[in-house]
Amino acid sequence: MDRRKALRSIGTGIGAIAVTPAVVSLFQSCQSVATYTPVFISENDFKIVSNLMEMIIPKTDIPGAIELKLPEFVDAYIDAVWDEKRKTDFKEAWTAFISSSNKAAGKENAGDLSTADWDAQLAKYLKPGNDVPADEILASQFVNQLRSLTVNAFKTNEFIGEEVLAYAPIPGEQKGCVDLMEATGGKAWSL
Amino acid sequence: MGASAGSDDFKDKYYTGRRNNGIYIPRFRNIGGETNQKDFTRGYGYQGGGGRSDWTKQIAEMAYGAAFKEATLKPGDWQIGLSGFGEILPYQDNKMTLDYNKLDKWGLPTVTFDATLKENELNMRKDMQQQAVEMLENAGFRDVKGHDGDYAIGLGIHEMGTARMGRDRKTSVLNENNQLHDVPNVYVTDGSAMTSAGNVNPSLTYMALTARAANHAVEELKKMNI
Ligand SMILES: Cc1cc2nc3c(=O)[nH]c(=O)nc-3n(C[C@H](O)[C@H](O)[C@H](O)COP(=O)(O)OP(=O)(O)OC[C@H]3O[C@@H](n4cnc5c(N)ncnc54)[C@H](O)[C@@H]3O)c2cc1C
Repeated sequence: MDRRKALRSIGTGIGAIAVTPAVVSLFQSCQSVATYTPVFISENDFKIVSNLMEMIIPKTDIPGAIELKLPEFVDAYIDAVWDEKRKTDFKEAWTAFISSSNKAAGKENAGDLSTADWDAQLAKYLKPGNDVPADEILASQFVNQLRSLTVNAFKTNEFIGEEVLAYAPIPGEQKGCVDLMEATGGKAWSL
Repeated sequence: MGASAGSDDFKDKYYTGRRNNGIYIPRFRNIGGETNQKDFTRGYGYQGGGGRSDWTKQIAEMAYGAAFKEATLKPGDWQIGLSGFGEILPYQDNKMTLDYNKLDKWGLPTVTFDATLKENELNMRKDMQQQAVEMLENAGFRDVKGHDGDYAIGLGIHEMGTARMGRDRKTSVLNENNQLHDVPNVYVTDGSAMTSAGNVNPSLTYMALTARAANHAVEELKKMNI
């Protein structure tokens, strides 16, 4: 993305966001597509993370995580915005998740896990009512955090925000209680 | 300090213009008769609001995948929150001092705050939470939770004082016209003039005090007093 254009659209679109150095470097880290090289997550891990995110937000009639470049966003976001402690904690939880996944699938290498193996891991940690064993708490935290990051990236994605969710950049009249279907056709407001 | 809750009602209702509306509940403690409290003096008000931004509950069941994705695009259930804004009494020993032994990078003395909540505030906080919980429960909300933000002075948004106004130059910095007792051509007209917080939002009071002080300064200048 053209950084200048990005900054200009921040300026006019969401006046409330201060353009801090972290935000600037976030946009600087928006690289031009196809050849994206992850900055925080390692290249190998990035493939796995991308696939996990696609399982959380899969392609339907609306594009999924990979098509929307949510993994790229999450990678650049963590790199530019999180402090060292959060980064270290995230890596530690990731390592725990990978070793728990290898163990569950009976494999040595995370690259060998199948979609079904990953799906079982997501189900174990995300479906309600499953008791997480004490030694898998970190792994479970990783998955929950990845889900939050994915949903936040999804909901703040430009295409989703402007074309899919109900979008009213200039909010107009304030009405405290209106019919949901009439107001937005059942969608959440984007802003 | 306050409480929050959810609701299963009004799923077909929404709002336009960024949010439905704010809530303000004026002070109802220690205003006479039955409202008078045994274990604290003065009072608090609540500020809060409702909204449908939380997606966590409705999609917990779906966990991840296509149905989950669909649910994230819909408004969440209604939620409501109330936060208490209470008065901190004007304790003489809650103060700030300048530390000339520890200068900042521009060579100015750094500020040391020495201020704590005391018994009156701590008792008031208990009541703040309890009343908020009761109000939301009686109004029919579900999952009512009291919350305690573990407040220390400085974490709120209406802190004030330090260059207090007062009649006695030994116990206050400013006189009744916002002038320094000791240097009458210096006026301090911001929130630092306050002795105590009251419990309402402070900005309008600061503006009124400032207008009054500016008027005083003009009059004094005309009389060649400053
Ligand atoms: C999130 C939030 C929401 C709020 N909402 C409301 C509300 O709805 N209604 C309401 O009435 N009040 C509200 N308040 C409170 C209100 O904003 C403040 O009480 C008020 O702005 C304080 O005004 P002031 O002039 O005393 O201090 P400030 O506005 O804080 O001004 C102090 C100024 O001094 C400057 N400064 C500091 N050190 C130095 C230095 N060494 N040299 C030079 N300059 C310096 C600072 O940069 C700052 O500009 C809110 C506060 C917050 C934080």
